[in-house]
Amino acid sequence: MNKLFDLRFVIGSFFFLVGLILFVYSFSEKGRNAVNHYGGLAFLLFGVVMILLTYKSSGKEE
Amino acid sequence: MKLYLVDYSIIALYFLFVIGIGFLLKKKIKTGNDFLMSNRSIPLWITSLAFISANLGAQEVLGMAASGAKYGLYTAHFYWLGAAFAMVFLGIYMMPFYYGSRARSVPEYLKLRFDEKTRTFNALSFAVMTIFSSGISLYALAMLMQTILGWDFNVSIWLAAGIVLIYTYLGGLTSAVYNEVMQFFLIVLGIAPLVIIGMHKAGGLDGILHNVENSKLHLWKGMAHASTNPMGVDAFSLVFGLGFVLAFGYWCTDFLVVQRAMISRSQNEARRTPIIAAIPKIFMPLVVILPGIIILALQNQFTGFELPLNSSGQVDYNMTLPLLLSKLYPSGILGVGVTALIASFMSGMAGNVTAFNTVWTFDIYQAHIKKNGSEKHYLNVGRATTVIGILLSVATAYVARNFNSIMDLLQLVFSFVNAPLFATFFLGMFWKKTSSNGAFWGLISGTAAAAITHGLTTAEGKGGWIANLHEYYSGTSQAFNIAGIAFIACFLVTALVSSFTSRKPDEELRGLVYSLTPKQTDPAKRWYKNPLWLGVAVLILTLIINVVLY
Repeated sequence: MNKLFDLRFVIGSFFFLVGLILFVYSFSEKGRNAVNHYGGLAFLLFGVVMILLTYKSSGKEE
Repeated sequence: MKLYLVDYSIIALYFLFVIGIGFLLKKKIKTGNDFLMSNRSIPLWITSLAFISANLGAQEVLGMAASGAKYGLYTAHFYWLGAAFAMVFLGIYMMPFYYGSRARSVPEYLKLRFDEKTRTFNALSFAVMTIFSSGISLYALAMLMQTILGWDFNVSIWLAAGIVLIYTYLGGLTSAVYNEVMQFFLIVLGIAPLVIIGMHKAGGLDGILHNVENSKLHLWKGMAHASTNPMGVDAFSLVFGLGFVLAFGYWCTDFLVVQRAMISRSQNEARRTPIIAAIPKIFMPLVVILPGIIILALQNQFTGFELPLNSSGQVDYNMTLPLLLSKLYPSGILGVGVTALIASFMSGMAGNVTAFNTVWTFDIYQAHIKKNGSEKHYLNVGRATTVIGILLSVATAYVARNFNSIMDLLQLVFSFVNAPLFATFFLGMFWKKTSSNGAFWGLISGTAAAAITHGLTTAEGKGGWIANLHEYYSGTSQAFNIAGIAFIACFLVTALVSSFTSRKPDEELRGLVYSLTPKQTDPAKRWYKNPLWLGVAVLILTLIINVVLY
């Protein structure tokens, strides 16, 4: 099997997008809630960390 | 529970990503080995997380929260007594035989160690059981979606089955494993905020300690007798039945989880997979059991947290997690929570289907139907088996809906088959005199002993279909004792028959039996790269938790 893609990038992208959705939604009337706001930020951060880990180890064999 | 556009967007995004993983992997899959065994090329961190994620199905996520509400902290024995010790044992002692023998599946190891009939018995029962489990998972998902979200039962079934089919058909085992890792993060991160919010609302640790009855906040207190703890189990049944037989039987011999370690890149990584997996596993009760305890504290302080009754008029503990989601999560993060639930069901289903694929293709099709097919041929068989496996799961889900009692019966029968299995492996790996006939008749006897014990005992109105000689305090206690008796029966009959029948010669058993296999000398200097020291560290951590939460 050939070299696979880096799963951390996929997971990071997913949580980045989910975090973004929650964070943006937290500013709307319905979503005005600290849970969405800080939860969204936490997911965003987790996504960014996972993506950065991908780039940090790029060049190495997965 | 009402979902809004933002919640549906998160669910749709998740579906898009899981299918996307399948498409990304499609081009990498060239042979049957790629499709069914991931060509033994998966990195350690992925195999480790997939190892626990394959077990992180609906029964785990919903069931453990339910048990947390019903039995309190005692439920954590499934982790801190059962899983941790068994996973370390698998990594240190058993994995060298699975991986070193180059067996592609657990039944294939049985063939190498014993004979074809023992392998076929195990492969057939495992194949049927995985389809059955997959179908039950699908049924439970559809029922839950219907109950809490009002979704149509048929739409839920076909949507979930269709998505699992797409990504497992395209990327095979690798796709299932990659998705399991993503599902792991989703389940943990999707439910963790619920625990934080729930703890906050319940008044923190003080709130829990003051509002939950003390008998549900211990691990070992009251275990001297079955009548003095909410689980209805005594310490011996717990340690022997759960801690030894059931836990070791599941974590060390169930191909669904063992397969995740067998696809590692090297034997060292295969051995470290279950041990590293044990670390997050030790902390999983914080996510899956704690919600059950939190709801008890909330019930004592607020209205609206009472669990509904099921059709039998009893408290429906399975609604613990859905109820907390609906009460504590606002729209938005609610979408993440519901997606986590869906992910747990899909993870359970995909894990079963991919294990079924491998066993069917290698241990039944290749062993009995077409021995010398090309790699391409087995790839096609694997893909066709995926489709058939999913369709059979869907059919099982509909059977479960219409004939619930038949499903209960089947579940019971399979638990009888599984109970003695660890005795066969234990003797096979550590006693070279164990013969093929001994193993086969031991398995049959253990299964029969499990069925007879169930027929002669009752618990919570179940069992006793031969006579009622003894009544257990709980169904859990009955299950632990049945497993213990099945193990002993299998162990004794295997040893007895082996004493009178011929065994394989030593040269055929090298690499398969402990005394005939060169001892592992790990060159790794760092302790965390050495399975033995890593295992010791995990066990020390587990023991500390057991003492602190006594």
